[in-house]
Amino acid sequence: MLKFIVGRFVSYAVMLFIATSGVYFLASWFLDPRSNYLAMRPQPPIESINASLDYANINDQTPILERYWNWLTGVVLRWDWGYSPVGEPVSEIIWDRAWVSVQLVTISTVLAVVIGIAVGVRSAIRKYSAFDHTSNSISVLFLVMPSFVLALLVVLIYLELQATFDLHWFAVTGLGDGTFLSYVQHLFLPTLVLTLLGYVGFHLTQRTYLLDTMNADYVRTARAKGIPKNVAIRRHALRTSMIPTAYGIAFSITGTVTGALFVEQIFAINGAGLYFIETLSKNDINGAVSVAFLGGVATCAGLLLADIFVAILDPRIRIS
Amino acid sequence: MTTTFTANQGEPLLRANKPVLSVKDLTVSYGSEAGPVRAVRGLSFDLMPGQTLGIAGESGSGKSATSLAIMGLLPDSAVVGGSVQLGSRELLGLNDKEMSSVRGRDMSMIFQDPLSALTPVFTIGQQIAEALDTHQNLTRDQVRKRSLELLDLVGISEPEKRLKAYPHQFSGGMRQRVMIAIAIANDPKVIIADEPTTALDVTIQAQVLDVLKKAQRETGAGVVMITHDLGVVANMADDVLVMYAGKPVEYGSVDQVFEKPNMPYTMGLLAAVPRPDRSTSGPLIPIEGNPPSPVNLPPGCPFAPRCPIAIDECTTAEPALVSHGDSELHRAACIRADKIVAEGLTFNDVYPMPEIPDRQQLLPREQRDSVLQVTDLKRHFELSSGMLRRKVGTVRAVDGVTIDIRQGETLALVGESGCGKTSTLLEIMQLKKPMNGKIVLMGRDVSELNNAQRRKIRSDLQIVFQDPMAALDPRMPVYDVIAEPLHAQGWKKDAINERISDLMDLVGLNPDHVDRFPEQFSGGQRQRIGIARALAVEPALVVLDEPVSALDVSIQAGVINLLESLQARLGVSFLFVAHDLSVVRHVADRVAVMYLGRIVEIGDVERIYTNPRHPYTAALLSAAPVPDPTVERQRERIMLTGELPSSTERISGCRFRTRCPKYKMLDDADRTVCDTEEPDLISEGAIDQQRACHFPM
Amino acid sequence: MTINANVEASTEGEEQRITVQRTSKHRLILRRFCRNRQAVVGVVIVVLMVLYSIFAKYLTQWDYDEPDFTALKEAPSAEHWLGTDNVGGDLFVLNARGLGRSLMIGFIASIGITVIAAFVGTAIAYVEGIWEKAGTWVLDMMLVIPTFFLLAIMVSAASGTSGWIWLTFALMIFGWIGYARVLRSIAQSLRDREYVAAARYMGVKPLTILWRHMIPNLGSILIIHTVLGVVYAVEAETGLSFIGFGITPPDTSLGVLIKAGAASLQTAPWIFLTPALLLLALCYSMTKIGDGLRDALDPSSESGGKA
Repeated sequence: MLKFIVGRFVSYAVMLFIATSGVYFLASWFLDPRSNYLAMRPQPPIESINASLDYANINDQTPILERYWNWLTGVVLRWDWGYSPVGEPVSEIIWDRAWVSVQLVTISTVLAVVIGIAVGVRSAIRKYSAFDHTSNSISVLFLVMPSFVLALLVVLIYLELQATFDLHWFAVTGLGDGTFLSYVQHLFLPTLVLTLLGYVGFHLTQRTYLLDTMNADYVRTARAKGIPKNVAIRRHALRTSMIPTAYGIAFSITGTVTGALFVEQIFAINGAGLYFIETLSKNDINGAVSVAFLGGVATCAGLLLADIFVAILDPRIRIS
Repeated sequence: MTTTFTANQGEPLLRANKPVLSVKDLTVSYGSEAGPVRAVRGLSFDLMPGQTLGIAGESGSGKSATSLAIMGLLPDSAVVGGSVQLGSRELLGLNDKEMSSVRGRDMSMIFQDPLSALTPVFTIGQQIAEALDTHQNLTRDQVRKRSLELLDLVGISEPEKRLKAYPHQFSGGMRQRVMIAIAIANDPKVIIADEPTTALDVTIQAQVLDVLKKAQRETGAGVVMITHDLGVVANMADDVLVMYAGKPVEYGSVDQVFEKPNMPYTMGLLAAVPRPDRSTSGPLIPIEGNPPSPVNLPPGCPFAPRCPIAIDECTTAEPALVSHGDSELHRAACIRADKIVAEGLTFNDVYPMPEIPDRQQLLPREQRDSVLQVTDLKRHFELSSGMLRRKVGTVRAVDGVTIDIRQGETLALVGESGCGKTSTLLEIMQLKKPMNGKIVLMGRDVSELNNAQRRKIRSDLQIVFQDPMAALDPRMPVYDVIAEPLHAQGWKKDAINERISDLMDLVGLNPDHVDRFPEQFSGGQRQRIGIARALAVEPALVVLDEPVSALDVSIQAGVINLLESLQARLGVSFLFVAHDLSVVRHVADRVAVMYLGRIVEIGDVERIYTNPRHPYTAALLSAAPVPDPTVERQRERIMLTGELPSSTERISGCRFRTRCPKYKMLDDADRTVCDTEEPDLISEGAIDQQRACHFPM
Repeated sequence: MTINANVEASTEGEEQRITVQRTSKHRLILRRFCRNRQAVVGVVIVVLMVLYSIFAKYLTQWDYDEPDFTALKEAPSAEHWLGTDNVGGDLFVLNARGLGRSLMIGFIASIGITVIAAFVGTAIAYVEGIWEKAGTWVLDMMLVIPTFFLLAIMVSAASGTSGWIWLTFALMIFGWIGYARVLRSIAQSLRDREYVAAARYMGVKPLTILWRHMIPNLGSILIIHTVLGVVYAVEAETGLSFIGFGITPPDTSLGVLIKAGAASLQTAPWIFLTPALLLLALCYSMTKIGDGLRDALDPSSESGGKA
């Protein structure tokens, strides 16, 4: 099993490397930091524009491969992710901001998996019950709701409640003053939004797959042994039905990372997502690439987690 | 353990005193898109302890619904009526919890597909233990001891090790043994086996049936054996019940039913299949038409539309299952049965004999042109694993196959799954230079062809697949399906039009139906479309890959007849791949038996069937069930021990020696020969029979 | 020819039975679809939305580029049915225009995505072996970086009234990858069907096999994906516009309107709520239509179309 996991790890590392390089070229192609300077009034002299761009290794007059090589050696040898167009080092900003996002994404993913699978299992076992119908309708609503609409609705509803009942339980901007209580108060609503966005997928897939496996031949075999239907389902169908759900973790994390971008914007949380939006509006190639890389790391972490879960659940993968 | 019963073959229903399972007027129905489906429409039988009742029928006859209804395992949406009594306890109407105390303890079941019947994420040991723990209060040690005992009983070697294994590490045959172990874990009174060997190879089938008999002896249970295979019924059952369209149409002891069937449907079933133990030359006699849909059954006898001796009365009321005079206990649901019994009518009197054009008088084999010559063909697959593609083994799927097909003849390639017959086919169909050896089609070595020539020569080699639904694109009307090879060969539109009309006619389909889609045709008709497509470009050789094994018995005969008449008329050659030895005997001129990638015996079909020289051929032939209880009772089976060795395993010398019954009887010196020297195909004298064995039978 | 006569007799009998059984396939699908009430409601809503986006401007005196400076940030009233935004724009016509833009982008992008994904997905499945592995690996690789990030980088520079074409193009460029991955795994089972093997053995060329056998047999799945793809494309478009990178003023879309509404969430919630509800209704209806189509076209699979 260890061999299997290590193999996957190597494969993901290679994927991440190629994908990040691809993003570097994409960003270099589409982002135009020179235009930042050209739009200035008065316009700085061309030489000084070039000097600034050269300092950040984002001068479009330097061949792209040369820039890529400089960037790559910086990242690989010194873990230096380059500079923004105005010369701030990306590495000094990104890690603190990433940490904020990691907390958001991790907490809400864990909650989403637990809640999603629990609801999914319950609604599959009680197919067509009131619980099944209600949870399905609610989930479909969250499924179709774009993340920023949900976040704004949550803010709107909370502010209305706050105004009506004069409750000040939570906050809707920033991350607070550093005490634990304030941290929880500030993190609660953004996490709620991301959890609601994430659990839906797990609920619906877990329900579908459990319904499929409930009719599997081996559940029938278990019942033929004399195990009551519900016990047979819990003991025999549940574990196998969680295998495909586990695969869903990987791309659920991608969704949550994307959602975090909006949530950070709406709740004014200084995370990596908000940083990404800032870098794009400032044509900060190096900054944008570094956030995209972090997004890739999150996906790969999800893929690897999925592999580990599947290997634990499924002896066909474990013993091969 | 309870008393061991010995089967005696007297009057079937009078033997024991009290039935262990008694089913009265069982009905099962459920809703569907098209309307209510009446899957079982009134079924009654008594099962005595230690006895075996065979329930035989084709797909859709309601036999599986019957078994699930008895076990209470039908989905809640199904409506079950009538009565099922186990001993004196009524089972219908019990809730799931009450049924659970019966299932697995008093009554257990073995399912058809062993590959999916065991939970993939639990070990074999856990799954057997679960069966024991559910009904008995045992300590861990007792559970373990009993589990080992059970595995030993069903013939699984190294039970200690096997308890810790997962199902995916077991072959199909072994999993079915485990299923039997689970079924008998609590000494049930009734075992229901639903097509328990249908998914297995014939030698494994023989082993599993043997284990099942042993399990029955050990437990003294009554067995309900549900199967479509009349050979299995003849082998296993004391009584037999034939079902058609959800209703029993004939019921009696196996001897009565097999010897003197009273009902035309039973007669047809028994006679439509060729027999592995008899040579037949004439055409088979098919039952025309298809089984009715269970949704809108016609009034009267459901078999009447297909029955050659139906009279008007047959279509008005459905006949009851009653005795017709030959014995009180032999019953049939047929208005004409009185006449059949009274006049002693047999199959030949009831069914009209189809005519098949005589085969052209062919030149002696040696003087005919060779169509396909395959010499020393090999195909090995490298198995690799991990990132660095480390080689972990080699599968010798095809390992030196030599065959030769002459104009107008049929060569059958037989063997069990994993023997390499499919790989051989694929290798030939590729028409590319093989890994090793030579493929010569119509005198041309395929390795010398360029792409254009290869496309051209494909008109000489066509294929018909096993599953007629999968082989036809469901989105294409039949016209386009049949036109496809013609387009690929660059035919002109007008010529195609004409050709398709001819072809539809040739395979017995209405040419006006070319605009219909495959799903509008029945299984047998679809296979005819597949045959028409293969014949479209006038090939010299058609590869038939299990062409009838997906069809119901009553439909098979028509397709086989069609193939024979086409060969007679067109002089085409067939390479016929099949696992059904009886069909092969009927269809083939020559037969090649494959084992682990090599041909172990090849030659004239009659010669090999009557006098097999290779021990594997002999075992294969003796494992094939014969639909005749008298024959089955007297047969001495050559049982092969163990499973097919893993495909990556390299066996020195003769590769059959690990399972060879003959090898076991040899002395050490002879064994050394088998251990070290790989036998070549040789014949004795100038006869058409070669075998690869140092010590032939 | 004696056997023919014999067989034909049987053929007639079989045909009769089958024609009787068979009601028109399209009617059956329609009937199954109509049984799903939510899907039917979805169709009605989408049709109404299309009509609204086309005809709204004829229903009131206001035009989207003629703000009413006497009514800034006004709540819905008889004058302005859905209220006005903070520069006096009439939200009834603005929403219609934004909805029209979002619908257009959604449908065009979704169709484009499905076409690309169908070709790439089936092609990768068809080649088998090492090339299939490589193709799948590349698809996975392209999904490693969240697609939304790539989209944002690509469209952040575009702006102006022709920006929507660029955005639609970008949605196609990056949107097909996930679908192609799903379609590949479905096409894989098609590839192993015997009719594909049969065509291959007949000497039919690979592209012809893709086009004639594999893609048509994905049919129902492609239709479902196109419908659900609209949801994906609309959500991506509005999301990008919301963070300021997709559609930018003076052009408008639901995302642009929601962004404007977010700024005055407390003081004038209708500016946010009306486009947000339209967006929700659109996504909800399309999802329900997709579900209904799946049940109608592919009754056997409960999970067939899920990504």
